[in-house]
Amino acid sequence: MTVAATQAPRQNHLLKSLLATRELTLLVLIVAIIIGMSLINPYFLSIANLRAVAIGMTPTAIIVIGMAILLASGGFDLSVGAVMALSSTVAGMLLVAGVPIPVTVIVALSIGLTSGAINGGLVTFVGINPLVATLGTMSIARGVALVLTEGFSVSNLPQAFGYVGSASWLGLPALMWITLLLVVTFDLAVRHTRFFRQIYLIGANERAAHLSGIAVARVRIIAYVLCGALAAFAGILLASRLMSGTPTAGNALELQVLAAAVIGGASLRGGEGTILGAFLGVVFVALINNSMTMLAVSVYWQMIVTGLILVIAVALDMIVRRKSNPS
Amino acid sequence: MDALLELRGAVKRYGPTVALDGVDFDLKPGEVHALVGENGAGKSTALGLIYGVISPDEGEVVIGGKPVRLASIAHAQSLGVSCVFQELSLAEGLSVAENIFAGRPPTRGGLIDWKRLRAQARTLLDDFEIDVDVRAPIGSLPVGARQVVEIAKALSLEAQVLLLDEPTSALSPDEKNALFRLVRRLTARGMGIVYVSHHLPEVLEISDRITVLRDGRKISCHQASETSEGAIVREMVGSAVDLIQPSKPRTQGDVLASLQGVSVPGHLADVTLEMRTGEVLGIAGLLGSGAAVIGEVLAGLARPSAGEVTFAGAPFAPGSFRAAKRAGIAFVPQERKTEGLFIDVSLRGNVVAASLGRHTGAGIFREASASRSARKAIASFSIKTDGDTPPVSSLSGGNQQKVMIAKWFETDPRLLIVNEPTKGVDIGAKQQIHAALREAASEGRCVLVVSSDFPELISLCDRIAVVRQGKLEGVVESPTEAELVDLASGPGTVADVRDRERVDA
Repeated sequence: MTVAATQAPRQNHLLKSLLATRELTLLVLIVAIIIGMSLINPYFLSIANLRAVAIGMTPTAIIVIGMAILLASGGFDLSVGAVMALSSTVAGMLLVAGVPIPVTVIVALSIGLTSGAINGGLVTFVGINPLVATLGTMSIARGVALVLTEGFSVSNLPQAFGYVGSASWLGLPALMWITLLLVVTFDLAVRHTRFFRQIYLIGANERAAHLSGIAVARVRIIAYVLCGALAAFAGILLASRLMSGTPTAGNALELQVLAAAVIGGASLRGGEGTILGAFLGVVFVALINNSMTMLAVSVYWQMIVTGLILVIAVALDMIVRRKSNPS
Repeated sequence: MDALLELRGAVKRYGPTVALDGVDFDLKPGEVHALVGENGAGKSTALGLIYGVISPDEGEVVIGGKPVRLASIAHAQSLGVSCVFQELSLAEGLSVAENIFAGRPPTRGGLIDWKRLRAQARTLLDDFEIDVDVRAPIGSLPVGARQVVEIAKALSLEAQVLLLDEPTSALSPDEKNALFRLVRRLTARGMGIVYVSHHLPEVLEISDRITVLRDGRKISCHQASETSEGAIVREMVGSAVDLIQPSKPRTQGDVLASLQGVSVPGHLADVTLEMRTGEVLGIAGLLGSGAAVIGEVLAGLARPSAGEVTFAGAPFAPGSFRAAKRAGIAFVPQERKTEGLFIDVSLRGNVVAASLGRHTGAGIFREASASRSARKAIASFSIKTDGDTPPVSSLSGGNQQKVMIAKWFETDPRLLIVNEPTKGVDIGAKQQIHAALREAASEGRCVLVVSSDFPELISLCDRIAVVRQGKLEGVVESPTEAELVDLASGPGTVADVRDRERVDA
């Protein structure tokens, strides 16, 4: 009976097809913002502004990949902002101490891998709720970053390390290319590989996944490790861009990332969402915030608007679902 | 006598689908009126109308002689209509007493009056010949006792009408008999009971009248004493079907798996059993008898503390479910919604979920190949669906069950363990599932069917092993149902059954 019921009355048709895929909805909205804002303020479309937006959203856009994967598996990670800060801080300290760049990058990345493994282990083997487990590691990672530096930023990093953070490739920021490369790679991987298909099944029904012979614990932990590694990688890029290790960076970033992922179609219930959608969620929020800055709206108002968008996006989704699923 | 409750020409549509098409139904004081039909016939919709979950598009709901527009479940309850849901609605962490008076405990000066709460709960439960501590958390009670608490909860609302939706699906014969005695006491007090069940012998036993629904229409309304199971089944499915297909004898092959003196603490004691290729072996047992644990041992879900398991001629001690699966064992769990299916995932995704590797090359998952498998399963199991992309939540229970079983056929198992293969599915789907299981056996697999549905085992299996209280009571070929019940529940229960039959006659 549900199959037949998807043929809805005509007046809903436009709304429905618009909301059919979250990616499409966001794309339409993003184009609308760009057109609207360029009419209001020509500076919006200037290379300088768009570069600033692209660079500014790099950490969120990279971390949202890991978060979207975790959400699809039915988990999430609050420690991403703190892990990013810790990775950037440790990278800064090692570089200042004269450690070669490749070694520094490996050490900083392994901080993310380790914290991800700890998160995954706590959730999978100890059975701690992901909210509590990652809240704990968030506090610990942030604390370690602050203890190591007594709260000060680490500066005077070697010039060579700043290359990626400031370079332009083919006229666009290197950071943007790296972000896009990661987004496209992971989007394709999530859509087409067996491994990520298991993630969705685990998120849809963990017990059924186990009883289908899927290695639930292993897949779960890999998802947390991946998310931690992406957060650490974002921290390295941030250090390169700012030319400093910043223990206070990424405060409340985890919530922005979660919000963007959910706006992009992920769900805390698990089993849903795409990397492309989550990325477009980040772009959408970044453009809204940038527009408000251009319109001289205060930063505080921007928080209110982000919150409204989050709630409206999820509410619309619920309404559409209820219409197409009358039982 | 005035009816307690009526549906008059009730129509309910979902888009172009008519779930209920002008149905009349009435319930008199002191009677049990059963609603039967296959899945999708409109039983749930009719219950929903009576219980205020949905409103009719046309027609009326009449309670106590007055047409009403039920706005909510609370509204229906305030008019004296209570429902015991198929899926229990109890809070596991709270005590029995708190569950019975959920949301409206007696208070004194704004605080919960615990003493009175317990006393009132005790009084209600005294009716049920059941010995439970009203302070015990619900989670600590067996399923049968929970069902009783659920009914007590409904009665605490001072209901005149009680809706029972598949109330016996988790009950042992003893618990079922206790429930029926309770139902008779309630009707003697003038209460009316709407009884929904797939289990027709029970329906015939407990009901005064039986209304048959098919495709949203009322087909008939009989006095239970003037009809038969066969007649009702024919009306439910719309054509004559053979109720029981005797299983054909097959040539049985070699021993594929065996248990020798296997014990699992708390579940199985010293069980010895051989399973052969080419046979359908039934494991009969009531809920909690340990019957299901035999399958779990073979599937690596339960670890024996003593005894030896062999598979394919070698000692077998799977360390995990995955290890058992790799060895060629398939395990279809009992609960399709919570254990067997990914309910929001597409039919295709479900069919290939246990065999992802077969559709993967160099790490890349091949949708086209998965879709071929899914379409093959749709054809071979006659699954009613609009292609392989809709989520399985949009399928009927019987078709969901077929998807769950098809998923494991995809793994090409040597030993197929199936738990309660036709729980809550309609007769047509049941026959197709049975045919598929027999087919699997004749292809040289061993099919192990764990079930508490004894008629099903008798018609489906070559041999039936009976488990009671963790012990293997015997392995029988073509027994009667009474013999199975005797073995599975001990002699006491059979005496009960005979007593009851004498009283009824």
